[in-house]
Formats: sequence, structure tokens, C-alpha cells
Amino acid sequence: MNYLDLTIKEIHEALLKKEVKVSDLVKEAIERCKNDNFNALEATNYEEALKEAYELDKEEVPSDNFLFGIPYICKDNLSTRGIETTAGSNILNGYVPSFDATVVKILKENKAIMIAKSTLDELAMGGSGKSGHKGIQYNPYDETKNHLIGGSSSGSAVVTAASYVPFALGSDTGDSIRKPASYAGLVGYKPTYGLISRFGLFPFSVSLDHVGYFTRSVEDAAILFDYLNKYDVNDYTSSLKERTKVYPLNEKKTHKIAVIKEIIDSIKDEEILSAFKKLLTKLESEGNQVDFVSVDSSILKAIYPSYIIISSAEATSNNANLDGIKFGNRKEGNSYQEVMFNTRNEGFSELIKRRFVLGSYALMSENQEEVYLKAKKVRRVVVDTINKLFEEYDAFIAPSSPTAAHSLNEVSDNLDDTYLIADNYLGIGNFGGYPSITIPLDINKEHLPFGLSITGKIFDDAKVLEIAKECEDITGLKNLSTVTINEKEGR
Amino acid sequence: MKEVNKDVLKDAASRLLFDMKDEEYETLLNEFDIITKQLKLMDEIKGLNDVTPMSFPYIDESFSLLRDDETLEEDLVNKEEMLNNAKVYKDGQVKLPKVVN
Repeated sequence: MNYLDLTIKEIHEALLKKEVKVSDLVKEAIERCKNDNFNALEATNYEEALKEAYELDKEEVPSDNFLFGIPYICKDNLSTRGIETTAGSNILNGYVPSFDATVVKILKENKAIMIAKSTLDELAMGGSGKSGHKGIQYNPYDETKNHLIGGSSSGSAVVTAASYVPFALGSDTGDSIRKPASYAGLVGYKPTYGLISRFGLFPFSVSLDHVGYFTRSVEDAAILFDYLNKYDVNDYTSSLKERTKVYPLNEKKTHKIAVIKEIIDSIKDEEILSAFKKLLTKLESEGNQVDFVSVDSSILKAIYPSYIIISSAEATSNNANLDGIKFGNRKEGNSYQEVMFNTRNEGFSELIKRRFVLGSYALMSENQEEVYLKAKKVRRVVVDTINKLFEEYDAFIAPSSPTAAHSLNEVSDNLDDTYLIADNYLGIGNFGGYPSITIPLDINKEHLPFGLSITGKIFDDAKVLEIAKECEDITGLKNLSTVTINEKEGR
Repeated sequence: MKEVNKDVLKDAASRLLFDMKDEEYETLLNEFDIITKQLKLMDEIKGLNDVTPMSFPYIDESFSLLRDDETLEEDLVNKEEMLNNAKVYKDGQVKLPKVVN
């Protein structure tokens, strides 16, 4: 066991006790990144990271700064000063931001060390980890490379699950942190909209985009939340609400937890259903109130169509600045129109073009009422329904996905309930800006992990994390990674 | 709702300043077959017409939306670093294709 395989909290304790040096951690993280076998990385920051590490070696480790000397990796749609940032798209090849995203800045100020940027589905649009300009990100739980990790924060999920680093930054517009976290046996957290600054995040769909992160324990997720949960004058959607610390988590409370029956009914995987049932029994036996509640399935089935319309429509406008004049890898032409056309035509992949066309179709004047505004009305109905549920319950929980990780060529039926409900309900968290977390629920017979998601009321992040911690204590799946699993199973 | 055919999709693509190959339009048309069916699911929600469209996760007093017109302490835009992103620059100015005829 290497110190890098521990959680942030445990590494911090080892640094305090001088069992390990920052430079040892950073060297090991760089070594693992260099041996990346799952195609997870974009630009690297090895030289600068080592330099910072040697500087930190000379300093006394502060007992009150968990992030001191902790290596991490950053999703490549977050701006990093002086380091190429492409959002996984050829159109941004060579773009070097002149400033840091606020989250990157906060981590830097607290002396966490960025080792590299992680790749993603192009412009964070897509949920497979297949569509970025680096090709496919493979799930480290399958060494034969036949399973996906999911996206769009695909690289960040890989690097945390394969233990290159103890945490990684991501972004989540529909489920882009929480779904890959499920496929990768990780904790993936997307806090309440407005609490973590999005300044420096390349926007995909501003009304749905969140910044969040992957860790290997709920405690680490709570620790990171306290650092990143800050008002930012540079982000007009940053909440002015007073911030309170969540760590250490309150462990003694019991909660009122809802289970939406229609989500569970749309899951067919027996291993997932059985693990979930076991967890519910345990939660009840520990004094929590767990109730099955019913939500009109027509509302749940409309989440995906509503999401795809709103996000694609916003994406067409959010990415209009990628034209080779303002931003983007310019391709020449005889006029500025030709420059823009050539840049966009060559710079975007087919998938992105298809999404943009769908967004443009939804925004055509003839379709505004019937498509775009209707999708936004569905969003309202979904949020009203869930807010009503939250009048009685602290949170609702369900398996994060109807299956474990997909194999490379698996095709799903996009019109059945399993896809429309169980595979897409996590969008609720983005529609209403709710705090929503994925934690590992169990590991199936194929040795692939699958997750549990907990979603709570806006600004009630502490309660969501508390419930997550309680569930983590029940499953015992803390600090899961391919390294810890292999050691446990003697591989 | 506007009928979906290759010409409509080509028009949408041209508004977005790109084009696609013929086989890509075929893929997109097939995708629209499914999306159109998915969109119909929205009509099954009772009382949807009586609802106001939602543009933002929540609105409350906690967003500033507009900030005071103050100079920020740090200069986020460093001229040297900005220019390094430009393909061609001269005398501190970015050279662009002509945009006014």
C-alpha cells in the first residue's frame, strides 16, 4: 500500500506524522499518470507540480489544512492559467487560459498540487466517455478494456478510481459526475447550485451546469466542500447565502428518506435491486424512516427529453464564441464568415454537431412553443413535484444507474422505462439545483462496482452528506479503488 | 412543430456555421425519429400548458446577478498571456481577418 492509495484525510495525517513527504506523493502520482493505461489525461503539469512539492517539503505541515500537499487532477473544461485547456475538443487545441478557474485558485491557495488535466466527452456533452478528442476512456475495473467509465467527467473518474490521485475535479450538467462515479466505485458530489463557483468553467448549459468532484470517501467529499463552498464575485450565479462548515459530519441523526417507487420499478438488474433492498433494511433498523412514495411516471419519463432539449439549446448559444475569431483553433478562409465556418466545421466532432443541430431546431421560431418552452415547463413540473416530496422528506435515494458500467458496444433501448427513468432520473438534481451525491453501493459478479445516489433539498448539503456517510458505514465501501480491491482480493 | 427532414437540418446546421456529411445527416434523421417519440412523452403530463416555463433551478434573494461596478483587485487578463493565444499579433495587437467590407 502506497500513501497515495489513502483518502485525503489519511494522507494528511501521514504528512503530519512525517511518515511521508509531499514530494514522495507527487512523484508517485506522476509515475502513475505516466503509466496511464485507460486514456484519462490531457495536458500534464509534472514539472511545476514537483517544484511545488519540493517547496512544500521545506514547510511545516499545518494541522488545520487537509489539502496541504495533496495531489489532484482537474477536468479539462476548467481554466488553468498557463496550462492548455481544451474541453476535449479539437476546436480548443492550443488554447492556454490566462487565469485560473476559481475552484483551481482555491485549491492552489490551500496548497493542493495539480498533477494533470483529465479528458472528457467533448465540451462535456455526452455521457459515455467516448466522444472526446482523445478517444475512449476505459473503466479501470476491467483490465481487458471492454467497459466504459461513463462521462462526461470520464478522465477524472478514471484517475480517482485507479488511484493516480485521491480526488479530482469534475462538472455535472445532467449526471456527468454522479453517473461515472457509479461506474467507477467512487463518491461523486454535485453540491447545491450556486454554492461552488463556476467562474472559469467552460459553459455547456448554464442553467444546469455545476462544478463538483470525485473522492474515495464521504468524509473527503465533506472536507473538500468546506474549501470550495465560497461566494465568488466573478460568478453571477454564486449564492450570497452565508456559508456554514459541514465537516465533521453529524453522525447521530436519523432521517426521513423517500424511495421513488417508479425509479426502482424500472430497474431490472437483480444484483442492484438486492443490494439496494439490503441497504434499506439496514437504514430502517438504524432508526431512519424509509418510505416508498409514488411519483407520476409520465413526469419521470419526460425528464430526459426535457433535459436534452434545454441543454442542447443552451449549448448552441454558450458555444457560439468558438468561431476562430474570439476563441478556437482558427482555420483560414477568404472572409470572416468563411473563417468561422471552416473553424467550426473542422473543429467540432459529429456528435457535437448533432447536439447543436437539435438545439438549433428547438429554438427555431416555429418550434419554440412546442419544443423549447414545453421542455422548460416540464422542468418546472419536475422541480415542483420534488420540492413537494422534500416538504416531508430529507432526501430521496435510489441506485444511481440501472446497470453497472456498459460494455463498449452495448446499445440501450432509448424508449423503455429503464432508460427513460432509471438511467436519467439524476437530471432532477440539475433541474432543481439540488445537492446530489453518488457513493458505491456494491460490486457485482463481474467485479464491476455500482452506486447509490442521494438527493436532498437545496442548501441542505450537510444532510445529504450525513445520509451518504451513514450509507457508506453500512456498505463498508470506503476508499474503494482498483488498487485497494486488488490488494483485498490478493491480486 | 416544424417537420424534420434533411433540408430543415441542413438549414439548422448552416445557422450554426458548419455542415455535415450526407451520412451524418442520415444518422441525425434516425436520431430525430427517436427524439420525436421522446418529445411526445412530454405531452402526457397533465396540466402542462398551465405551467410557467422554468429557466433557472431556483430564484431567491441569494443571487447577486449584478455586481457593483468596481475594479477587481487582480487583473485577470494579462496582455502577454492573452497574445500568446492569438495566431498572429503585432505591436501588441491581434491580427484578425477583415470583418468590415
